[in-house]
Amino acid sequence: MVAIEVPEVDYTDYSNRQLAAVPLAFLVLALAIIGGWVVATGAPANLGLEFTGGVELRVADDTNGDVEQQIRTAFDREPDSIQTIPGDDVVVVTFQAAQDDPEGLANDLQDQAEAAGLTTTAIDQVSPSFASDTARTAVFGVALAFLGMSVLVFALFRTFVPSLAVVASAFSDLVIPIAAMNLLGIQMTLGTIAALLMIIGYSVDSDILLNDSVLRRTGEFYESVSRAMRTGVTMTLTSIAAMIVMAIVATVFGIGLLRDIGIILAVGLCADLMNTYLMNVSLLRWYKFEGVAR
Amino acid sequence: MLEPIKENWRILLLVVAVVGSSVALFGPGFGPEPAPGESASEAQQGITNLQYGLDLAGGTRIRAPLSGYTATDVAFDGDPPETVIDAVAAELDNTTTVDLNVVPEESAVEVTDPAVTEGQFRAAMDAAGYEYADVRSGVTQQTRDATIGIIDDKINQAGLSGGSVQQVQSITGEYFILVEVPGEGREDVIDLLEERGTVRIDIAYPDGNGTGVQRGVLTQRDFDTIGTATQNERRQGSYVPVTVRNTAANGQQSSAHAFQDAVAQRGFADAYQNQADRCGYNPETGEIEEVNGDRNPCLLLVVDDEVVNSFGMDPGLADNMAAGSWAETGQFRLTTGEFAEAQSIALNLRAGALPADLDISGEGTSSSISASQGENFRTYSLIIGVLSVFAVAGMVFLRYREPRVALPMIVTALAEVYTLLGFAALLGYPLELAVIAGFIAVVGTGVDDLVIIADQVMSEGEVNSQTVFNSRFRQAFWVIGAAAATTIIAMSPLMVLGLGDLSGFAIFTILGVLVGVLITRPAYGDILRRLLTVR
Repeated sequence: MVAIEVPEVDYTDYSNRQLAAVPLAFLVLALAIIGGWVVATGAPANLGLEFTGGVELRVADDTNGDVEQQIRTAFDREPDSIQTIPGDDVVVVTFQAAQDDPEGLANDLQDQAEAAGLTTTAIDQVSPSFASDTARTAVFGVALAFLGMSVLVFALFRTFVPSLAVVASAFSDLVIPIAAMNLLGIQMTLGTIAALLMIIGYSVDSDILLNDSVLRRTGEFYESVSRAMRTGVTMTLTSIAAMIVMAIVATVFGIGLLRDIGIILAVGLCADLMNTYLMNVSLLRWYKFEGVAR
Repeated sequence: MLEPIKENWRILLLVVAVVGSSVALFGPGFGPEPAPGESASEAQQGITNLQYGLDLAGGTRIRAPLSGYTATDVAFDGDPPETVIDAVAAELDNTTTVDLNVVPEESAVEVTDPAVTEGQFRAAMDAAGYEYADVRSGVTQQTRDATIGIIDDKINQAGLSGGSVQQVQSITGEYFILVEVPGEGREDVIDLLEERGTVRIDIAYPDGNGTGVQRGVLTQRDFDTIGTATQNERRQGSYVPVTVRNTAANGQQSSAHAFQDAVAQRGFADAYQNQADRCGYNPETGEIEEVNGDRNPCLLLVVDDEVVNSFGMDPGLADNMAAGSWAETGQFRLTTGEFAEAQSIALNLRAGALPADLDISGEGTSSSISASQGENFRTYSLIIGVLSVFAVAGMVFLRYREPRVALPMIVTALAEVYTLLGFAALLGYPLELAVIAGFIAVVGTGVDDLVIIADQVMSEGEVNSQTVFNSRFRQAFWVIGAAAATTIIAMSPLMVLGLGDLSGFAIFTILGVLVGVLITRPAYGDILRRLLTVR
């Protein structure tokens, strides 16, 4: 059996600027991607059904023929996406942003599926104006959670720079997964919003651990960092493992909610590894050796 | 005797939590509330007391606002509500007084006719001469409460067990009606809800060579009691026995007397002399045709403006009405063809019409999952959960390679999930996909914190005394407490914002963090101490 050994990083080889450069570059890149998305599509990410409105049907694949072909001919409007779920003989068909009477559309689509001999096992319908409300609520929720977390972190450490380091790294943890979602073509859904909120709560754990080790324990700086790192990397890796497994299995079975949460958390936690042990460490080192002395 | 209890109270607390969860999960008396006519064991889904939500059991969820407009802070100038309603209705074309409502407690006037636009309503209010502060979309609290009551009745009377209806408020302050019905398809539920179900009786009578119709001789509110749908023994068909209100305020005519007079005036007593005299109404042409050489007046049963049945009258009953003695009892039968129709009419009469339409297509959402799909999701989420736990366990073993540390860690994390399941059974909280995601998140965070405890306690050399252990454990707990607090803060907006079914995710993540910090993680510390402390 291979043991996981958390590698010892010799931080003394690198200057603070060098350490912080990598995560900052990622952050800038992520912000640029999101900015580009806003310019190109008017939204920071690819919005899913819950944020645009529309109808999603789950059609049972119980025939021997080519179901996808059947689906293409069954409906009198072109589906926005047709997705076959490997583990669960169903096909998910999405019709987005039906401005004209989505509920009537849902009924029509169900009738058309029935007429074509397709069995509908689930149907979701979201009206566009409800969807825009949901989007506003989601943005508000994420902002509120972030604000609450920031206030709490400042209250816990009561020093400016280390607290700022935690908040900055949490911000980057939040932004990088959104950019990754855009690049991977994953849509923003309620599941991803839940995952983003989870990142806010989850990713600061390792930052708090690092700050606690450096600021509140006795011991030399590099020793404190490596101690916090051993624990922190282990726990982040266990979480990443759980999330990757969840994402893969949920994709096979076509459970979108669990897949989205899994992917976003996995990406966010990877970003957190980088942010915590490069950006956060450099900020803390600056604070410890130069900031305090000033 | 007391010493071991005092020393191991943290472990004992965990044992108590696990035993308590077992009782909640498997014990009798904690199962789902059985629907009427259902035994406790039938209400149970599977071997545990756990209840499954729509995602995992199949069913339909609809969330929609009620359509209508409300004028707020209306100055009624001392006019009684009826006067206000008449005045405003007179300014709106094609809107009857039924679609208008005055709520004096809220100083509000509302219109529930979906055809009326905000502009038309404003214009009508202005024209009627009542001052108001503003017109907002949506209806009054009173109407929402009434609608919820009626939908609840409809769900119960249709025998849809486990169905629920409640009011939720969005962040923008808009009110939504949330209806959840397990085990029913989307169209069935929408039909049940959208059926405004107005039932009335018209009289069709021969008017020269044509046919005249006197509308609404009996309407919903004229009925006093409504019996259950009954199948006719002698003849074909079914009926709903009803009694018509035969008392009224001083000086006014009661519904029963008014109906009696109308029937007498249309000559039912002369037309129906014996069983050979029948009603010859043709629903397709709307004309009364000759039966045995006579064109007799008919009673028409009208549901949602559609004539569903026409019938004549028993000679004895017609005579009683002509003589004016029928109104003393007011008993009457609404006759239908099919039994199912009689049932639906009884349902509509009893539950009444919705005071306002649910605007599902405009601003609502609906989702529906078939029972088989729900069952599949249940299996899949179990697999996902088990595999995620294996992934975490594998990582922990790879890292520590010491069963003494890793095994209790995994057992503790599982105990945490088990306790949460116990909570779900105890609270009767239905499990949904979002809740399952919460469980997996709990396993993730839970193990994180156990890693912190283990590393902290084992760092800096051997644990050779109770004091050393305690001091290290306390240090570890500061980090865990801080991490738990951030998670709770981050998840709490989700709990209250009403973003779909994600509140379940937030509730169980927060509950999991609390169970972890208060029960399981201290217990893991104690287990570790017993295993590591050199005595």
